[in-house]
Amino acid sequence: MTPARPLIDEGRASQADRMLTIQDLHVFHGPIEAVHGISLNVERGKCISLLGPNGAGKTSTISAITGIARATGSIRFEDREISADSVEARIASGIAVSPEGRRIFSNLTILENLTLGAALQRDQAEKGRDIDHWFSLFPILAERRDQAAGTLSGGEQQMLAIARALMARPKILLLDEPSLGLAPKIVRQIFDLIGTLKDKGMTILLVEQNATQALKLADYAYLMSSGRIVAHGTADELGKSDKLMAELTGVA
Amino acid sequence: MIRLSQSQRSGLVGAALLAAVLVVIGVATLYFGSRYQIRLVYSAYVNLIVVLGLQVFMGNARITNLSHSAFMGIGAYAAALCVTPENIKKISLPAAPWGLADFSLDPVLSAAIAIVITAVLAFLLGLFIVRLTSIGATIVTLAVLVIVHAVFLYRTDIFKGNQAFFGIPQVFDLGWVVGIAILAVVVCRLFRESRWGIQLRASADDEVGAAAMGVQIYKLRLIAWVLGAVILAVAGICYAYFLGTISARPFYFNHVFLTLAMLILGGMRTVTGAVLGTFLISFGLEGVRYLETGPVLLGIDLPEALGLSGIALGAVIVLTMALRPTGIMGNREIETLFVRKTF
Amino acid sequence: MEYVIQQGLNALSFGAEYALLALGLAIVFSIMGLVNFAHGEIIAVGGYTMVAFAALAIGNPVIVMAGAVIAAMLASLTLERVAFRPVRKADPTTGLLTAFGVSIVLQNVFLMFVSPRPIAVTSLYFLDWPIEIAGIRLASLQVFETLTTIVVIVALMLFLRRTVLGLAVRAASLDFEMVRLTGIKANRVFAMAFLISGLLAGLACIFIMARRGSVDPHLGFDPVLKAFVACVVGGFGSLPGAVLGGFLLGAVEVAMLVMLPQSLGGMTDAFVFMIVALILIWRPDGILSPAIEKGDKL
Repeated sequence: MTPARPLIDEGRASQADRMLTIQDLHVFHGPIEAVHGISLNVERGKCISLLGPNGAGKTSTISAITGIARATGSIRFEDREISADSVEARIASGIAVSPEGRRIFSNLTILENLTLGAALQRDQAEKGRDIDHWFSLFPILAERRDQAAGTLSGGEQQMLAIARALMARPKILLLDEPSLGLAPKIVRQIFDLIGTLKDKGMTILLVEQNATQALKLADYAYLMSSGRIVAHGTADELGKSDKLMAELTGVA
Repeated sequence: MIRLSQSQRSGLVGAALLAAVLVVIGVATLYFGSRYQIRLVYSAYVNLIVVLGLQVFMGNARITNLSHSAFMGIGAYAAALCVTPENIKKISLPAAPWGLADFSLDPVLSAAIAIVITAVLAFLLGLFIVRLTSIGATIVTLAVLVIVHAVFLYRTDIFKGNQAFFGIPQVFDLGWVVGIAILAVVVCRLFRESRWGIQLRASADDEVGAAAMGVQIYKLRLIAWVLGAVILAVAGICYAYFLGTISARPFYFNHVFLTLAMLILGGMRTVTGAVLGTFLISFGLEGVRYLETGPVLLGIDLPEALGLSGIALGAVIVLTMALRPTGIMGNREIETLFVRKTF
Repeated sequence: MEYVIQQGLNALSFGAEYALLALGLAIVFSIMGLVNFAHGEIIAVGGYTMVAFAALAIGNPVIVMAGAVIAAMLASLTLERVAFRPVRKADPTTGLLTAFGVSIVLQNVFLMFVSPRPIAVTSLYFLDWPIEIAGIRLASLQVFETLTTIVVIVALMLFLRRTVLGLAVRAASLDFEMVRLTGIKANRVFAMAFLISGLLAGLACIFIMARRGSVDPHLGFDPVLKAFVACVVGGFGSLPGAVLGGFLLGAVEVAMLVMLPQSLGGMTDAFVFMIVALILIWRPDGILSPAIEKGDKL
């Protein structure tokens, strides 16, 4: 395996634009090390994609950023080291996540899910406007606002998970496998939504196995395998490399 | 000739090491101990057998059992009812039904009957308990404890309730109980290292995974449950055969917590843990009880402090759970410590 | 007919007390899987607070009752911080055993520092007087207890549905980590659950003390044993289940008292526990249990 290219790609972004910078990150599940020292950057207003097969360590990386998983190494968010912060403090500083498996609160109503998403939002009027905004974007959620969220279909739950994350008005959105287990038509809808968010200037770290779709959106992508970053580059560069296909399909 | 697996053979080594410790403590007490100390050590050994019976189920299936003292009570009362001479029973149980007061058996037969009765009861209850999830199973064992205790209290014509059931011949002395405790240690170790024991422990770690591998989890739990109950019945018999009198009170919550604390402190996953925890708490509590009486220590006249032993016991449980939930021994048996030190 | 109504009302008031206590257990269990056996000692803390007020010659019933409730809430919060925080992420067995340990410690602390014997508390006797409505004889205490329980259930429901922290408590019963990922501080959610639990124990304490008129170190043990059973029957971790289980247990107990012949009086508890065991064997996770999934993530 060829080593990843230099940690910081100087030609790509100036220091000031970096929103999230990860250096030499090791992530652990109990005694097992799942990620072996990766480094990556997410620039303000960009959509960065983290690709790789199952078990590559993508979700572990997300968990390390939010503080759920035990990790060593440096995580800088807006020029502040957050690796020692609690989960709650990291969320409060402007990180929101739509996690793998969606993890909506199925015993709460849709409206209650959104309300919890804005738990740190003090301004009630603004909260109301945000909820209205999401309801206008997803009429199906509005229709069922008082139903238990567990009754939604997979695609609707994914919409809800993303909307819940955005209710916090985050500076960066971490999306973990938003297309997992969804029908192709729904997948297109989800990626359309992500595209819209990107166009509005949202900074996004998108974890995906669906490389084709992700690379269409992403400005820059990292390819992970077995806990390491094995390649990275612009979407075009990476899309053309054999490595991507090899890693994702297992065919060398 | 039964062929033992590698793990069972190392289990026997561990059991032998533990047996040596048990013999040393027993012999030392026998030769140097006062009557009071012999009684104290005897009850420690009885509790050791209880804790071992508890370990077989709790340690391998990892389901908290709160009914163990009830099974010990069943064993004790069943043996006592069989072995006590008729003339004494005529006085102490004048209203006994079913001709219970009209016969008496020799100690060996009585013990055998007590064990069979306990095992059958445990089997019937076990059929239901092993199918429940952890907290549910614990609640049902709690229900068993309460029900059995209520029966002991209610049927005073058979069990005499909180009054003393007296006249049980003294069959055992310290030597006997040491021997039986050693036997229990060997049985527990062999079960733990047997295919059943290993499968049961694996299923406790990952129930779905083990089931997918074809482990018959309910059957294994039931085996451990009944084996545990038999050991508990033996403990009850040892208790009755030494003290000569029994009553319902010692087979209720206080004893449940005491023995649970012993197992938890030592570590429920191992037999070594059961032995270690029992002796630490048995002898430790004796020290605390001495403090409770308000002795004069180093020239300071300490006040009487009733409840100190309870506080110590509870604190042991809380601290163990907070600092080392798997107990002192964790997953290690005695022989692994020995091997590590030797090499 | 009047007899049936009378016994029905008795069952209701029995059930109300169990429901209060069971709710207190269930709310803690729902978020951290802890079977809080030390709940009974929280009740006892309330009782001993009343003793302390009596010793200080404070007889104002409002102060006595408020003091007992506040003491119970503080005790509950303290236990969370001191004893249960270290086992927050542990499995239910570890939590259960810790709670047993805490319970033993507290009982013996009362025994050692106060008294092993019951201490009379007469300041709440005034709550209990006989009343008669349409030929049905009742104790006023039963009425208070049932009404309080209803008010508490409604208030709790409003809290859990209308406030962000309430929503968080409900959500935490499903996925605590995800609640943290919305930025709500885990410690606040735990503190809130224990605070509510303590409040419920404190309220129950008032009724228990008004009826018994004395406190001893084991005051809370029996009621909590029953509440525990109510929780299991209703479905552990389910708040509606706790209420249902509480009232069901009250009904079973009254039915036992009424229907069992006098000679079997001592066996009431045995029969109650037998019914509990049967319910669990019929529905291993309780009647209204939340769904539990075994195995790996998707």
